[in-house]
Amino acid sequence: MDPDRALVEAAAAGNRDAFDELVRRHQAAMITLARVLTGGREDAEDVAQEVFVRAWKSLRRFRGDSTFRTWLHRIAINVVRTSQARRVKLFRLFAPAGRESGGADHERGTGEEAMDAVLARRQAIDRALAALPEDLRVAVTLRDLQGLEYAEIAAALGVPIGTVESRIFRARQRLKPLLQPLIENR
Amino acid sequence: MTDTGHSTPAPRQPAPDSRDHDDQKLVAELLASLPAPEVSADFLARINARIDAEARGGWLVLADFRAWTLGLAPAAAALALVAVLWPASASRTATSSTASATPTSRQTSFAPSSQSDWQRDVTGDALLDAALRSAKTNGHAR
Repeated sequence: MDPDRALVEAAAAGNRDAFDELVRRHQAAMITLARVLTGGREDAEDVAQEVFVRAWKSLRRFRGDSTFRTWLHRIAINVVRTSQARRVKLFRLFAPAGRESGGADHERGTGEEAMDAVLARRQAIDRALAALPEDLRVAVTLRDLQGLEYAEIAAALGVPIGTVESRIFRARQRLKPLLQPLIENR
Repeated sequence: MTDTGHSTPAPRQPAPDSRDHDDQKLVAELLASLPAPEVSADFLARINARIDAEARGGWLVLADFRAWTLGLAPAAAALALVAVLWPASASRTATSSTASATPTSRQTSFAPSSQSDWQRDVTGDALLDAALRSAKTNGHAR
């Protein structure tokens, strides 16, 4: 049973208060997802807003085949992928020859350890996640940060559940050495 | 929420040993311990503003160049037509005015009398004299 179902039905009928409540319920998850999927290159709140605006526009076409949360995550993944494709095109158009995209942005901020511990930990985790290939990063983010069930992740990504499990397993294997300092300090 | 019984990760491939399992659990717990991000106070308001703007067909519609460029197509076509036709007619006018501005030898030869024709203080005799002198000069020239 989808816990958002009643709100989704009301929002689909045009009830803005119901939609506001859906935004409140899922805003933190969407911002976290946007931050991880973009590798911190874009304003996570802007991406999350785009997700909710698209959700509002498509709400009447939402048939309830999956939970609202799964559907929202699927929209978020599409928004980020579209945005990244646009960024790659722009980069190829305007970047100086010989410079490759990716990776460099994640190195920013390594000297910002003076900030508080929570922020430093978040940055370390973000950097570790950013080092993963996209398919592994998305899967482990949806599972461990967003708390989605395996079947929900499979539905959001459109892949078999076995693939989801394998990706999450490999992602955690790769993350372990990158997060070792944080694990030891816990 | 769909409960599939997979809340505890149980990868099908590859088969983990107990150390792998512990590592998996440690990483999962660390990631899950990440606190939720702070959300701007106006986050919801900004979403509503965007939805309202799109519903009204506000300035975001103007940002869609496809909408207004199609509307401007007739004006653009008219401007293109003017751009093609104007230089042709302008050069024709310029040619004719240049031609009229170029004096012929005949006009030049009558210039003294023409000039004197328009002077109030020229006497009749002087005018006749100038005309005869001009005619005489032309006769020599032929």
